[in-house]
Amino acid sequence: MLKSVNSIALAATILTLTAGTALAQSCSKTGGTLTYVYHPEPTALSTIATSAVPVAIISTKIYESLLSYEGAEMTPKPSLAESWTISDDKLTYTFKLRHDVKWHDGKPFTAEDVKFSVEKIIRPYHSRGKVYFGDVASIDTPDPYTVVFKLKDPVPFFMNVFQPGEAPIMPKHAFDGVDLSTAGAVRKADIMQKPIGTGPFRFKEWRKGSDIILERNSDYWRKGHPCLDQVVLRVLPDGAARAIAVETGEVDLAPMSGLPEAEILRLSKLPQLETSKAGAEALGPNMWLEVNMREKPLSDVKVRQAISLVLDREKIVDVIWYGQGTPATGPIVSANPVFYNKALKPFEYNPKKANALLDEAGYKRGADGVRFKMSQNFLPYGENWVRLAEYVRQELGKVGIVVETQSLDLGGWLKAIYTDWNFNITSTFSHNYSDPSIGVERTFTSSNIKKGATFTNSMGYKNARVDELFAKAAREMDPKARKAQFDEIQQILHNDLPVIFLVELSYTHVWNKRIHGLITNGISMYSSWDSVWKD
Amino acid sequence: MSATLWFVIRRTLQIVPVVLAIAALNFLLLHLAPGDAADIIAAQSGGASAEFTAELRRSFGLDLPLYQQFFVYIGRLLTFDLGFSNVQHRPVFDLIAERVPATLLLMVVSIGFALLIGVALGIVSAMRHRSWVDSIVSVIALLVYATPQFWLGLMLIVLFSIMFGTLPSGGMMTIATDMSVWGRAVDIGRHLILPSITLALFYVAVYARLMRASMLEVYTFDFVTTARAKGLSEARVGLVHAASNALLPVITLAGVQVGHLLGGSILIETVFGWPGLGRLVFDALLQRDLNLLLGILFISSIVVVLANLAVDLLYGFLDPRIVHQ
Repeated sequence: MLKSVNSIALAATILTLTAGTALAQSCSKTGGTLTYVYHPEPTALSTIATSAVPVAIISTKIYESLLSYEGAEMTPKPSLAESWTISDDKLTYTFKLRHDVKWHDGKPFTAEDVKFSVEKIIRPYHSRGKVYFGDVASIDTPDPYTVVFKLKDPVPFFMNVFQPGEAPIMPKHAFDGVDLSTAGAVRKADIMQKPIGTGPFRFKEWRKGSDIILERNSDYWRKGHPCLDQVVLRVLPDGAARAIAVETGEVDLAPMSGLPEAEILRLSKLPQLETSKAGAEALGPNMWLEVNMREKPLSDVKVRQAISLVLDREKIVDVIWYGQGTPATGPIVSANPVFYNKALKPFEYNPKKANALLDEAGYKRGADGVRFKMSQNFLPYGENWVRLAEYVRQELGKVGIVVETQSLDLGGWLKAIYTDWNFNITSTFSHNYSDPSIGVERTFTSSNIKKGATFTNSMGYKNARVDELFAKAAREMDPKARKAQFDEIQQILHNDLPVIFLVELSYTHVWNKRIHGLITNGISMYSSWDSVWKD
Repeated sequence: MSATLWFVIRRTLQIVPVVLAIAALNFLLLHLAPGDAADIIAAQSGGASAEFTAELRRSFGLDLPLYQQFFVYIGRLLTFDLGFSNVQHRPVFDLIAERVPATLLLMVVSIGFALLIGVALGIVSAMRHRSWVDSIVSVIALLVYATPQFWLGLMLIVLFSIMFGTLPSGGMMTIATDMSVWGRAVDIGRHLILPSITLALFYVAVYARLMRASMLEVYTFDFVTTARAKGLSEARVGLVHAASNALLPVITLAGVQVGHLLGGSILIETVFGWPGLGRLVFDALLQRDLNLLLGILFISSIVVVLANLAVDLLYGFLDPRIVHQ
């Protein structure tokens, strides 16, 4: 039996654990309110309804999962489970639960709640539930404080999934009388708006459009915690107004790049504020241009390479994203110290070479200097994406590719890209999450060419070797072999360019220096904040 | 009296077909936009499988043919049921009801302020026609009219929140503090100052210019000459005789602009984080929350129609001849 060592977890890097980092410790001071600002407002208080960023930030203070995680490497630590064992064949995971945990309504927490949450709620209704628990053959509860997961096949990332936002344990009794057979009925349940969790903070009040107040859970199982009396979310829709609220000290924290990049740059120079990109390593947002490879000329790898050659990634980071990012080299972000393939070279910026490649591919300039025309869409997530589209149009124009930009809102964009496949190229970004089998595979395997599935293989990219490697890696329990599989995948995608990799985005958090202990792991803003304290 | 009553009934009955036609048009227009809430929910969760999205669509009733969805919608409207928001997971009526007071407060205070100041400035301007007062009022009105509201709002925040630190930068009340009723009212009042001024200033400019023009026109009428000939003071001629007659176009515009004001409040509510209906529209639109959007449009069309009815009735009061026509 192996205990708690998750060999595939991300290893720590000193780089990511910068100033401001603190691991879960005892409270240096208790009391006080942490007010953070974010927009849009959450639409529910459970990641079962939607795991969108605003929902994930607040609901992870209320709900917990079996494990918590430490450091950027995401080492599993006890939470609702105080210990665990993994069988030698890696098919049986036995979790021993704490005896002293109560739900916020006072009822005791037991193994039945875990079994119910995974089988009836998370697996069917969390957007990644089937990825996480699709291979679970059975969940047994031999006694009220023991849960045994039996898997059909080994799942190398199984110890990564018990995060409070990804596998929140919910009270079985709160679903009495709720029809569990449809997503709609579960999402209408009272508990989605008035949560009952086990976490360090309990729900107090939600004034729609204004704020949500969480208060200290005085019965919290971790004695002496949480340090704070209250956590308050303030909803401020205007980016500049959010920045002002942070600047004046009206709010303590703007998490997850919740401010416009230009404002982050400005606020990072103020003495009373701290700015950090650490604490989101297990999310790994990666931005690229998705290329519809179903038709010529974009089906030609030389054309895609030419497009890649005319885009200056340093410039995109510095000018368009105000320095908030890193040039990308492939599908896995470089902040991932285990799986990132360090042998990948940076993408070259060389318009001359691009012209030569396009000539070679047979797309010579016409009398008007034009090689071919195409359209581009962009992810409608704000100003930066518009400016990126403008930059792409301008640079491709220089090598004779005339680009017409089409503007759609999110609903229209999703339908055009992921349901109708009616596009040539589009900017987008995707999260790596805590394992490439969870976050990367979905974009590049041919089994993920599915109409109506958002953020999947919209390109129509088919590569038998890539499919084979991803399939192997999803079952591979030998860390070295798995790393080699992902290394090869990264090299193939780097050369094939089914998407034009551009920038590893960063989630930048800005907070007032009177707040301490925020950055604890690779999902710091989706963690419980039970040890965060305020001066 | 019976003529007035008949006038009120006739005007009220005319509302029904107008509102129903607006509701049908809203439904059709909104369904022209591609994409739906199921896609958005899946995307905001960081992506989901096609089965997951299809299951959402099925349980929201978005997989039904459009005509069936339309009849379901109209059927619900006839029983005053606004439906359920699939994005916010709550009944549409509740969502709207909790936002209406904030928006009404902002609108009523703003329009009241705008009418008071705008009309006063217009009267002063007209009575001092071609004097320096008139010139200053006209220039300032033009400047304010041309200033984007969101910019003005941000500048006021910079001035009063950051530089002077006297007023809060956003929200409707101080969070997480217990206050007496009176203390809470003062608190909301302080939060209301900047957004209501920002929203009102544009209309101050509009009403000041309109009132001025209207007064100048009325000054040319015979009854003004008569009043002067009777030896009334210039102040009495201006304030009583001319002003009350010059008000009609201003009232008309104020009524027509209720819809416009509702639109303007979306911007202001966004800048100041004011938890009103405007913000709800904005979020609902981006999230393809059609039931909520239809509900808000339905309610706001009723508000606009009622505001116009109120203007009609006010006409009758200001100029009794209208009722009898």
